[in-house]
Amino acid sequence: MKKFVLRRVFSGILTVLIVFTMNFLLVKSAPGDPIRSLMGKETDDPALRAALEAKWGLDRPLHEQYFNYLKNAFKGDLGTSITYNRSVSEMIGERVAATLLLGLTSLLVAFILGTLLGIFCARHDGSFIDSILSTASYATDAMPSFWLGLMLIIVFATNLDLLPSQGMYDVRAGYTGLSYVLDVLKHLVLPCATLVLVSMPGYFRITKSSILQVTSEDFITTLRATGMSERKIFNKYIFRNAILPTVTMLGISVAFLLTGVSLIEIVFSWPGIGRLTLTAITQRDYPTLMGIYLVMNISVVVVMIITDILYAFLDPRIRYE
Amino acid sequence: MKKVKLISLLLTFTMALSTLTGCNNTNSNTNTGDVTQSTQTSQSTKNTVIYRIAGDPLSFNPSLLSDDNLYPAAQNMFHRLTKLDTTKAPIPDAAESWDVSEDALTITWHLKDGLKWWDGEALNAEDVKYTFDYIKEHSECFFSTSMNIVDSIEIVDDLTVVFHMNTADMSFIARLGWYATFIMPEHIFNNGQDWGDNPASNKPIGSGPYKFESYTQGSNITLVANEDYVDGAPKIKKLIFSIIPDDATAMQALMNGELDGMEGVPSAYVDQFLNDPNFRMILDEYPSPYRIIFNLKADKVKDLAVRKAISLCINREEIAAKVYGNIMTPEYSAYPSVVSWCANTTDTYPKQNIEEAKKVLEEAGYTKDANGYYITGITWDVFEGMQDMANLIIASCKEAGIGIEMILSEYNAWSQKVGPGGDFMMESQGGFMGPDPAALSTRYGTGSSSNYASWSNAEFDRLCAEGAATIEKEKRAEFYKQAQKIIVDELPVINVIGYAAYKVYPADLMNVPEDGAGKWGWADWNNAYYK
Repeated sequence: MKKFVLRRVFSGILTVLIVFTMNFLLVKSAPGDPIRSLMGKETDDPALRAALEAKWGLDRPLHEQYFNYLKNAFKGDLGTSITYNRSVSEMIGERVAATLLLGLTSLLVAFILGTLLGIFCARHDGSFIDSILSTASYATDAMPSFWLGLMLIIVFATNLDLLPSQGMYDVRAGYTGLSYVLDVLKHLVLPCATLVLVSMPGYFRITKSSILQVTSEDFITTLRATGMSERKIFNKYIFRNAILPTVTMLGISVAFLLTGVSLIEIVFSWPGIGRLTLTAITQRDYPTLMGIYLVMNISVVVVMIITDILYAFLDPRIRYE
Repeated sequence: MKKVKLISLLLTFTMALSTLTGCNNTNSNTNTGDVTQSTQTSQSTKNTVIYRIAGDPLSFNPSLLSDDNLYPAAQNMFHRLTKLDTTKAPIPDAAESWDVSEDALTITWHLKDGLKWWDGEALNAEDVKYTFDYIKEHSECFFSTSMNIVDSIEIVDDLTVVFHMNTADMSFIARLGWYATFIMPEHIFNNGQDWGDNPASNKPIGSGPYKFESYTQGSNITLVANEDYVDGAPKIKKLIFSIIPDDATAMQALMNGELDGMEGVPSAYVDQFLNDPNFRMILDEYPSPYRIIFNLKADKVKDLAVRKAISLCINREEIAAKVYGNIMTPEYSAYPSVVSWCANTTDTYPKQNIEEAKKVLEEAGYTKDANGYYITGITWDVFEGMQDMANLIIASCKEAGIGIEMILSEYNAWSQKVGPGGDFMMESQGGFMGPDPAALSTRYGTGSSSNYASWSNAEFDRLCAEGAATIEKEKRAEFYKQAQKIIVDELPVINVIGYAAYKVYPADLMNVPEDGAGKWGWADWNNAYYK
């Protein structure tokens, strides 16, 4: 097991390096540049362009820019945002909590609800509730998240006046302490509900189909023939076998947590990292993009390693030797 | 045991939530300025204005770059020598008056007495000289190249400062009231650091009627009333610029009372808000026409007959109605007709006439091919947002036997492709043609960096130079009107639609920026109050 973990960590580091290089080349090869965004739409002054390019080192050869960035990244310095003239690490730090709050909450709710409903429907396959939930899962899965978000705003914020429509807290009230925490939770409801509604069907369907598949395996029939209780068969044999694909999906979702909620952050004006990413893309803010991609890259690799190890615990047959 | 585990799990989750929400709260206070924030806090709705901006500011130094997201807040925190009112005409700001010498080479500014920085220091001629000397010396400042026509700046006394010019240019006065010309505090910034590196560029010390309180990345910029302001404390005590990137969300926030004002109301909401007595809708017209620029180095469109034929195909009324819901209006003048004193409304672009377009092409020797086209293979580079207008024009051109293909790009990619000397035939453009008709020279003058068309006309250049050097407004207008006639004749550019957009406020919010034409600036909030 130790050897396996070490091997996975080594390949993870290699993956991070390769992806880092690819990201750098892709970002740099995209048409447009950050100087256009800095100059604004009202001037094409070549002196201004030259001064800004020199200031941000964009007049240097590409390989020099790459190695400079790599060297600084190794020291933990993600550079300075060209657009905002601020430390990229500081900007990511300020935004990451908001994204984790939204992303983790919705992920956990979607995972727990999706899995529980999947189990329920698998055990009551073909029932009325199963039909309703299965149809609903296809419906919400097909809805674009940004559209669903806006619909929820119109219904619950504008028409029913139950919840705030945007932001992370009420800037007019300016609450502090416990009132602030409650205010944030209130603002969290709609974006979280949107994400849960669009991501829950995945967990629901995978759990349900896995359980149905495992239930129809020969060894389950054998266990039933031995007279073992249905409860024990399910808990000890069906569930542990069937949960693996759901855990895989959870691992992938956790890995893409930081940027997977970008559209929802835009729709709900949630000040998270996904919004920062989209802004950095449109403004070609290379250091910010590279910084976010690096953090994302590392988080994907780490989560994948953890998922692999978790597999081994869940399924004793997996030993990676 | 299971219950204990469940409770532990729930408690852990609650603690994690509190930590994450708390983290963001901490951030909001990281940038809090000198003004102390009350701990428990329920601001009166009636002395707070929350105004929407679409994104985060680049910095809090408004004289570095043209920063649209900071601009509305900056105009309430800092002064310029002049500022633009809602009609985009220059009015006094820190300079209460100015004298121009007969040769227009000396401009003497008389500063308003009593202006103070928030730390109590007086705003004086030293600050003005320091600011504009710095801008001139640092080409990374947006206004630096514009300062090339200023030879030197002389301080006469605390409240009088003289700009000695090497070129007479009356447009300079209006341009000082536009982007990146805010007076910065010399006693704060003159410490050997570049403005970009100076902490004061992120924690500003201004002189305006509103003081900086806090900035939370991705969320809001909060300003509070400057109770010591020379013209009296503003009645609106808190001015919050809320960062909401999505238009539709902003409209819902407005309906729900989470927002008190925004610009650029999407056309789908205009009728609803015009008919809602709870809101005031104000149409804001800009000298920023949507226009078509021809690359006169491109073979396909360098023939004047082709450009004339395309010009004759454009149905501006149809575009205004179908694409812009008649909120924006047809533009037939070569300089935006909203600036009425200098727009030439006599020598204008023609109305749509497809038959005439065909005739122009036939007279120039073009013949129809088997598919009914006189000319094909023209490409038109368009950025997102302009494609509906382009589609209508392309359809009209097809009727006249002109084949145009649209190339749609995202703005940054479009910009790289079509810049001056770029590889394009036709391109769509918007953007400010103000605050002075001298913008004609900037956009279309020979050798100008913004002359995307690569057009050159000596007479046009001469007329623009004369217009810039003339003090009397009526005479200036004559020069610029003649220059516009040359544009209409030679068609390096075709103006199509005059840009306009509604701003919306609660009905009981009075003296908003747009109410103060000739009196206060187009983003000034210090006169506003709730009825």
